[in-house]
Amino acid sequence: MKFIVCIKQVPDVYAPLQIKNGELSMDTDRMVLNAYDASAVEEALVLTEQHGGEVEVVLIGPDKAKETIRKALAMGASRGHHIHVEDSTGLDSAAFAEILTAFFEKNSCDVIATGKQSQDTDSGLAGGMLAAHLSLPYAANAVGLHIDGGNTLVVKRQGDTGQEMIALPFPCLVTCSNDMNNPRIPSLKGIMASKKKPVESLTLEDLGLTLDGVRESVKTTTLSYREMPAREAGKKLEGDAEELVSNLLNLLQNEAKVL
Amino acid sequence: MAKFNIDDAYNFESLLSEDDRMIMETAREYARTKLEPRAMEGNQQEIFHPEIPAEMAELGLLGVTIDPQYGGVGASYTAYGLITREIERVDSAYRSFMSVQSSLVMHPINEFGTEEQKKRFLPRLATAEIIGCFGLTEPDHGSDPGSMVTTAVKVDGGWVLNGAKMWITNSPVADIAIVWAKAKEHKDDKPVIRGFIVEKEFKGYSAPVTHNKMSLRASHTGEIILEDCFVPDENAFPDIRGLKGPFSCLNSARYGIAWGTVGAAENCYHRARQYTLERKQFGYPLAANQLVQTKLANMLTDITGMQLLVHRLGQLKDSGELHPSMISLAKRHNAGKALEIARVARDMLGGNGITGEYRVIHHVINLESVNTYEGTYDIHGLILGRDITGIQSFTPRGNDL
Repeated sequence: MKFIVCIKQVPDVYAPLQIKNGELSMDTDRMVLNAYDASAVEEALVLTEQHGGEVEVVLIGPDKAKETIRKALAMGASRGHHIHVEDSTGLDSAAFAEILTAFFEKNSCDVIATGKQSQDTDSGLAGGMLAAHLSLPYAANAVGLHIDGGNTLVVKRQGDTGQEMIALPFPCLVTCSNDMNNPRIPSLKGIMASKKKPVESLTLEDLGLTLDGVRESVKTTTLSYREMPAREAGKKLEGDAEELVSNLLNLLQNEAKVL
Repeated sequence: MAKFNIDDAYNFESLLSEDDRMIMETAREYARTKLEPRAMEGNQQEIFHPEIPAEMAELGLLGVTIDPQYGGVGASYTAYGLITREIERVDSAYRSFMSVQSSLVMHPINEFGTEEQKKRFLPRLATAEIIGCFGLTEPDHGSDPGSMVTTAVKVDGGWVLNGAKMWITNSPVADIAIVWAKAKEHKDDKPVIRGFIVEKEFKGYSAPVTHNKMSLRASHTGEIILEDCFVPDENAFPDIRGLKGPFSCLNSARYGIAWGTVGAAENCYHRARQYTLERKQFGYPLAANQLVQTKLANMLTDITGMQLLVHRLGQLKDSGELHPSMISLAKRHNAGKALEIARVARDMLGGNGITGEYRVIHHVINLESVNTYEGTYDIHGLILGRDITGIQSFTPRGNDL
């Protein structure tokens, strides 16, 4: 059984000042493995530890994103594929899905797994688009995975009223929630071992693509990024019960105008 | 224009190798997600959660510089330093446990032990199957260990040890103790300091708990009592003689402390910054006041100096160009500055800084120990003073008793 997990390097959520002049700065000092992708890697590792097989990872990004591939290898993945795109400014989910489609046309596996979204843009689109391009059975936002009979992936999804269990025959694609597990912290032995694991270095041209060609598949334009609006402090009412109710009603009727 | 990073003003982390940075990230993630949630209880209730050594071992954080054939990972000393910084960011007590296991127990066995001793103890210390402690300091002999009174007398097949050691981190839970004693092969020999691996099962060994400790409450401290304790020959270090044995261990541990205290200082600075930005008085955040801003500026300036000092110290240790006085300088400077920063941060948090929830007072009180142990602030000053002037001043002269 072979998993290939699509991973992404994103700015650390703990790093300050990610938005400047309407642009999302990808140039923070701390770049990390997208937490949702980390859950996908973890689940793939657990399943292959139980049932045998191997986990590979693929990443699109600049040279310095290699460290994120190494993190996945240190967690236990056996091989990495690095598709070099030094500057991905302006590429949207459709463009990333196109690049990954070209990659998966040359690299087969039983299960493609990825995070349900990435922490930086939270679009949550690339997984679904990739499944459509590859015509693969697909389930999104998995909170649990198990293998049934050696050729079926059973996906547990959390719905509003209960859990949905979906059987996907191999080959298939699943996007993972970070509620699924706590990804392992790479051990020092894993970190040292990851140095010796193979990382294939690919260019867009190796996949039969060009950056200009990929840019043509961009369908959307991001106008700007904005900081979350600051929350205003609430009002604290004081007094006896009668006063409180009267003040509250007054505020709800005349200020908030919800009654 | 380059960015100014308020956590790492001179971008020292960008100078780290990829291996070292990845190891730092592992230690950081472990400290933040696994240690921090227990630290408050550990400190307030005086609990060293017994599962912590095994957790650290599983990640490979114990004895990281030791060769993989003995259970280490062969990481750099810079990596070791970076780990202590992450662990001490949470609580100096956890770093103390780790320093003792790695620098004071695994290091001497690795440096001075026989092949058989290395194979017998190091792998089990790396997995935390056994825990170690280190006995040098005595009730009446702290800064002056050369005057120790613990003795080892040669008998058939081994040695008989007598004496007491004090302020021993890990001793109440330790399975083995590295004990330094004045040894005599024959009755009339001049005694010479030698090292022994004393196992807790040995008759005559006991390790009572030190009670009412106000500092480093999340780790164990105790004594080592040796009453006609027989230690077989195979548990004696074969060749090392004199104070250079224990000093080699202390240098390794002090190196880790110089790095660890950076983490404690950074944590206090972060907490002071966050608190003064959020807390409003007279209509403005405290951080809008000049008095507060210059305090934060002083902290960042000192922390940047501390970071650069240990980064360079790590390079020198990794390249084998280290002189012990360089460690004295960094240990003294960084422990002293961390303590100052912690005290100022405590002050900036006002009344809230007195409560454990804000965690700054934990650092203050821990750092009082850290400034004292492994060579006090003043003793390291005397080591440097001797280098600078060529005159030793450990013993007062002109006022001989």
